[in-house]
Formats: sequence, structure tokens, C-alpha cells
Amino acid sequence: MILIDIDSLSDTELRYIAQQEGFEDWETIDREDLIEQLQEKYDDSDIDFSSVIASAMNQKRFCTSLTDFTSKSNSSDFLPGVENLPPSYNETSIHLLLRDPQWAYAYWSLSPCTKAQFFEGKVQTGEVFLRVNMVDQHDNSRSFFDICVGLDDEQWNINLPQMGCKYDVTLCFKDGQGVMGSLAQSNVVETFHSYWENHYDEIAMDRALFYVHFSSVVTKEGEVANNPVLKNIAKILSEGVLE
Amino acid sequence: MKTNKIAFILNAHLPYVRHIEYPRFLEEDWLFEAINESYLPLLRMLSKLKDEKLSFKFTISMSPPLCCMLTDEALQQRFIQYMKRHVELGEKEVERTVSDDPRLHEMAVWYLTNYRRNLDDFENYNHNILTGFKNLEDMGVIEIITTCATHAYLPLYQEYPTAVDAQIEMGIQSHLCNFGHISRGFWLPECGYYPSLEEHLKSKGITWFQTASQSMLLSPDKVEYGTFQPVRCPNGVVAFPRDYEATSLIWSNTNGYPCDARYREFYRDIGYDLPLSYIGPYVEEDGNRVFTGYKYWSITGEGQEKKLYDRAAAQKVVESHAANFLFNISSKAEHIVHATGKMPLSTLGFDCELFGHWWFEGIDWLEQVIRQSCKEDCTVQLTTPTQFLETKPQLQVARPAYSSWGIGGYSSTWLDGSNAWIYRHIHQALARMEELAIRFPQQISLKRRFLNQAAREVLLAMGSDWPFIMYNKTSGAYAQRRLEEHLENFNVVYSNMCKNAVNTEWLMKAEKKDVIFKDIDYNIFNPSNT
Repeated sequence: MILIDIDSLSDTELRYIAQQEGFEDWETIDREDLIEQLQEKYDDSDIDFSSVIASAMNQKRFCTSLTDFTSKSNSSDFLPGVENLPPSYNETSIHLLLRDPQWAYAYWSLSPCTKAQFFEGKVQTGEVFLRVNMVDQHDNSRSFFDICVGLDDEQWNINLPQMGCKYDVTLCFKDGQGVMGSLAQSNVVETFHSYWENHYDEIAMDRALFYVHFSSVVTKEGEVANNPVLKNIAKILSEGVLE
Repeated sequence: MKTNKIAFILNAHLPYVRHIEYPRFLEEDWLFEAINESYLPLLRMLSKLKDEKLSFKFTISMSPPLCCMLTDEALQQRFIQYMKRHVELGEKEVERTVSDDPRLHEMAVWYLTNYRRNLDDFENYNHNILTGFKNLEDMGVIEIITTCATHAYLPLYQEYPTAVDAQIEMGIQSHLCNFGHISRGFWLPECGYYPSLEEHLKSKGITWFQTASQSMLLSPDKVEYGTFQPVRCPNGVVAFPRDYEATSLIWSNTNGYPCDARYREFYRDIGYDLPLSYIGPYVEEDGNRVFTGYKYWSITGEGQEKKLYDRAAAQKVVESHAANFLFNISSKAEHIVHATGKMPLSTLGFDCELFGHWWFEGIDWLEQVIRQSCKEDCTVQLTTPTQFLETKPQLQVARPAYSSWGIGGYSSTWLDGSNAWIYRHIHQALARMEELAIRFPQQISLKRRFLNQAAREVLLAMGSDWPFIMYNKTSGAYAQRRLEEHLENFNVVYSNMCKNAVNTEWLMKAEKKDVIFKDIDYNIFNPSNT
């Protein structure tokens, strides 16, 4: 129980409690009378004043996110029938999110059925891996690379080796005999080449063009906007061509 | 002569926070602080300049959650209580500081006067300050545009086009309901853009949107004018890139104007400085102190020692910073005209709450920029993207690049180790919402309400605020809990509907808890309706 020192309550808070208690004159009554009347009310009903105030204020008088939401029971109790989120869902799937042109994030899940079918009794020998498929948009050439993951893993940050490609990921398994199979296929994410990344010589040869493009992505102090591709173009220009 | 233009776009947005089940709730103060420190002073300043017949215009994006909270009677009443508490503290502060340094006392009086004036203004708007913004729009001072339903960061929902459409559609519907017209522009939350997003915007009648500055330099096309001209996407919708350099004159935590040592320090507040025996009633009683809004110190430097804030001196700095800003814009424009032969347009996007709340002098600075730009000898003209497009400019057709205004310029702020886990659950909910909309189309009565509530919950879960707060580690526990709550609530509907049942007790309580999107129709999640 939180013991409230009534003198520490502001007028506004006292009025709030009075309003909750049904005092008709809660807006106009002065502070001393308010305290007196509240005390009388609680004395009459033989209830401990501190606990009533504390209850009226619901122990949340100045609640913070940390104190308020560390307990899940509060909100779950409020809405009936609510259950905690499951750690994952009973399906076998994989999803790919593009974080930036160099990194993607994959998350996946294996259904109990899939696990039973492919890995039960074979955990020691079977393995799961991600096959990252790339299609170069320039010449449509295809390639892939594999990332070994654990049976308990459910997410991975994937380094994308090349811009201007489409990527997708296949969630694969390989059993003890080396037989491979596909479990799920992700969506496709796409990265694009910047025109200027491949034509920096045009910018380098043309001062006006350089000014137009770089003056709006550089601070007054000369710092390039925090972006790896921009910084790369700036680096190429400053190291090679501009000098 | 006006030779160059700037288009300010202010993004007014706060996450939907409404906990009337508690007598007071700390996170509701985000709204109250923004109303008191940013929105009301902004309205007052703009009205004053309009009365002086100054000619200017800029754009404000008002998010649906913010509009909903601003028109919520319960929250309006709680704002009044918040203001009364602060007036009460102000009266004590004026008394406490009367024999102190005159600068301290002067600021105490200023704060108290300001709280009272804002409370009066709030009453004069009949508690609904949206009417103030609408009046200014009707008078041609501002153009109000909309944004996503819950300020979702769209690039991470690219795999769920129906959900992207739902976010845009609800943003447009909310705007129509609040302001009585279709929004022409659309604020992309966090400037988050991915190729083909403009198709969704076009299908909803949007004619322009803003993008991050690097969206032009990183375009796969040869963009001719960098960020100094908008480009027309291949489908006709126009993208206005943000001028990073001009923006960073302000929005830089190392060199921006708000860092000036003479400006007021945000983080030094009597809520943390004064003994609990005095400040106790206005901060949390069990030792967790909070901001009270009464701040008397200037930034001074990086150390703990701070000088007393001198408001008169700060106002002089405001004038010089406004002049410096316009000088920088003008001189750069000269170079651009010289280089391209075209009059440049600089688009600047800021969070509205930067002005007044985070940067105490920000509204004064905006006022000075407007005043000085209206002088005859100033070459800069304030405009809006819509006004710019009305001149029917010849625009290059080009594709903006995937980008955002977050750290690194892409999605890493909303997708990193602290928050990546959320997408497994949100995506699942989106897929299931779509499934429900397809399986149970055009329901009536309770089932319809049940499904509508599911749509509300899933939209609320998509807000960019939750992953951002987790990333920032500010109120991470709250953000996580809110997100989980919305998803868990959604799962109640999903599991019940799969059994062809409605949990009416849950529904009644859930509808009372989150009263956003009163007229939502869950069928927006049916792909055949988009």
C-alpha cells in the first residue's frame, strides 16, 4: 500500500478525489474544507484514509512507463480473454526485410509438423541453412550463397554483397545423408544502383553538377549525410577524381 | 525580388496515448506538453502574422492519432487539469523566486503568464484546437495535409500492400472528417519511401509527397537538379526531396541553431532540481521525478554548470539566426541559379514539436523567418508544394530511391536489434487481418464491430513510434507493452472469429479503451476492395 501524505496532494488532485466521491461542490470548495470533508467521509465509513486516497489515485498518481507496465497482469485483467503473444506461430515460413542496400533481416519459423517431419530423431545430423538467391538486374545472372543456422535460430541479418540485385531467401534443410530440400521461400527484396555511383566521372568533370548534387546532402560544415552509399560516392570523388 | 522559394513542412504527430482508466498517466503529458509548448504558440504566432497581413504559407501534416486526441473530450479535460496544475505551480514559483535573481523571477512570471494565456486560448477554441488550424487553412496561411493512419513506417510493410493501402486510406478518411477536404499532399512517416509506394498514393488521389534528401542522389535515374526541384514519378505523383543542408542548419544536435549556448536548456527542470518537500505534488511521489516545464537555465555548455537563462538576450539570437538562415538559403540559391538556370525550391521537413517544445525559441525563430522573408529586400519566398505545383512547372520524370530520414538514411532505426522482433508479430497480424476481411466480408452488427476493433488494433500496432521508442530506449517498456497489447487484442478477435464467436465483454471494453477511427470499416483490409 502506498501511504499518501494528504498535504502533498495538490488542489487538483484533491478535487479529482472529491469528484470521484460525488461531492457536488468539488470545484468550488477550498482546500482546507476539502481535506476536512474527505476525512470525515472516510472516518464515517471506518476506512483508513491513506489507503482510500491511495486507491482513489490507483497507485498511478504519477505513473511512469517503467513502473506502470512491468506487470502484464494489469492490462490483461482489463480486457478479458487476452493471452500473451506466442513466441512464434505454427507455420513454416520465412520473411525478408530490406534494412538498407547492404543488409537485410530475415525471420522465420518452423511449424511443429515440419520439425517432426524433417528433424525428429535427426537433430544431431540434420541441419538448417539459408540459401540467399541473387539476380543481377543488369544481366539477369543468378547466383546464391548459403548461411548455416541452428535449428533454434529464428532470425538472421544477411549481408547483401551487391547493389542492383533482387534477393530472396530459401529456408533449406540438409539431412544426415546430405539430401537437401526447401522448407519455405521468402518474398523478394530489391536494391538499385544509384545512377551517380556508376557515373561519378560526370559529376567530377562538371563543377556545377557537383554543386547541385552535393550541396544539398552536405552540412554547412562539410559533413556528408549519414548514408553509406553517399559516403562511398563522396569518397570516390575525393580520393580519385577530384584530386 | 523573390528569386527562390522554400517550402516548410511541419509534421505534427504524436502516438495515440489515452489511458483514462488512470487518474493521471505520464505518457499523456507528451500530448499536453506539445499543445502547451508547440501547437497553441504556433497558432497564436500564425494568427498574429495573418492579422498583420504578411504574405506567407506553409504546410502542416496533422496525423490522425494526433487529431483524434485533440478532439477527445476526456483528453481535453485532462489537458485543462494539467494546465491548472502548472498554473498552481507557477503561482508558487513566482512567489518563491521573488527575492531571487531578477532573471529567474522574470522567467517564472513568463511561464505563469504563458500557461494562463494558453489555457485561455484553449478555452476560446472550445477545447478543440483543430478548429484553430482549420481557420488558418481557410484563411490561406497554412495547408494541412495528412499522413498514415498511425504514422506507420511503410518500407517495412512493403510485403503487405493491402495494409499499406489501409494506412493511407484511413489517413485520408480521417483528414476528410477533421478538415472537410481531401488532402492533396501526403507526409510519408519518417520520410520512408520505397519504389512503387507512389502507386498506392496515386490510387488514393494524392498528388505529392516528401522524401529524404538522398532519394535523389541515389536514384537509379540521372536526376538533374538534385534536391532543388521536385521530380515527377513515372506515374505522375510528385516527390519533393528534403534539402538536407538547409535542414541541418536547424536539425543538428551539434551545430544547429537550437544548440546555441544562449538558448534555454531543455533538460534542466525544477522537477529534478528542487526538494521533494516543495516540488512533490507536481512530480512522482515515489522518487521518480518528471519535467514540470519550469526551466530557468541556458544551454551554456556541455558541463553541469549552467548560467541563468536570459530571455531578452535569447530573442536577439533568434533574430540573428533567422537572418543567417535566410542568408544561407539566398546565397545557395544564387549558386544554384548560376549552375542550373532554374529558380530553386528548398523543401524543409521538421517535426512540429521541435518548435517550442524541444527548441524553446523555435516558434520565435519561425516567426522571425516569416517576418524577415516578407521584407521586400529578401529574395526568399515561403511557399507550399501545392502552390508550387499550381504554377504547372516542367518537372523531370525520375524515380526516387529507397530512403528515409532515419540514421543511415534507410530503415535501420526501425529495424535493429532492439525492435526487429516486432515484425514477426505485426506481419502475422496483418496477414490474419486480411484473412478475416476475406473470410468475413460485409458483416453486420456485433461481428462487424468485432472486426472493426481488430482493424483498429492492427493499425495501432503498425505505428512507427513503438519501434522508434524501443530503438531510442526512452520509454521502451511502455512502447513494448503497447505494441503487445494491440497485437494480443487483435489475436482475441482472430481466435474468436475462427470459432465463429464474438467475445462481447472484451469488445465492449476494447471499444471504450481506444476510441480512434470511430468510422473504420475493416473491409479496407480486403484486397479486393483496394
